[in-house]
Amino acid sequence: MASPESSAAAAGAGTDAASQSAVVEPIRMPTAEEINGQDIWNNCAVRSVVSGVMGGGLGVLMGLFFGALDNPIMAEEMTARQQIVYTAKQMGRRSMSNAKTFAVMGVIFSAAECVVEKARAKHDTTNTAVAGCVTGGALAVKGGPQAACVGCAGFAAFSVLIEKFFDRHT
Amino acid sequence: MASKGGPSNLEKEQMFGMAEKEMEYRVDLFNRLTHSCFEKCIEKRHKESELNMGENSCIDRCVSKYWQVTNLVGQMLGNKPQI
Repeated sequence: MASPESSAAAAGAGTDAASQSAVVEPIRMPTAEEINGQDIWNNCAVRSVVSGVMGGGLGVLMGLFFGALDNPIMAEEMTARQQIVYTAKQMGRRSMSNAKTFAVMGVIFSAAECVVEKARAKHDTTNTAVAGCVTGGALAVKGGPQAACVGCAGFAAFSVLIEKFFDRHT
Repeated sequence: MASKGGPSNLEKEQMFGMAEKEMEYRVDLFNRLTHSCFEKCIEKRHKESELNMGENSCIDRCVSKYWQVTNLVGQMLGNKPQI
């Protein structure tokens, strides 16, 4: 039969080629643990909590960065140590407030996108736009209905742009 | 009947044939179900290798509906044997 020799020759050539290219693995059905591990990521609550935590981290970083750039008002009267303490407090305050805002934004955006995508059963930019509208509207709701509409439209456009920017291979 | 100890050879063959037909039916049902839901739910331009949430939700609904349709049609065909 020709198949053992051809498979041996292919194996001989394969080991030479394997060092240069990846070996193709045979198809495996996913195990129950793999399915459950992927299913965790399909849960809306888990997704929004993780997004909230990531938003909080981003807010902390941004607050540290922008808080350090702030100049104190009474710069001439303070010693160097007082200036450092003041700047540190400023950075801390700003990063906490930023962290809260960004965390809330992340939770609302992620929860809205997850719910909309599950309901529509499609993966689209419409989900991102609706989620952005909900987030922008929720964040701007204290300014009245017009501010909510402007926030909705603005944040929806922003999130669609970001999505298109990060999905260059579509 | 030669012996009452168990099913005769003819009955065994019949049972085996029915089981084989049932197996073929099940395999065909699975293949059709998979193909139909894949065509319906997954986009043609595969952008990533993992199923995203929309596709997952679509496949859940597709399989559920297909199964319900199969059961319903089976009941309809079963209740009207003269067709």
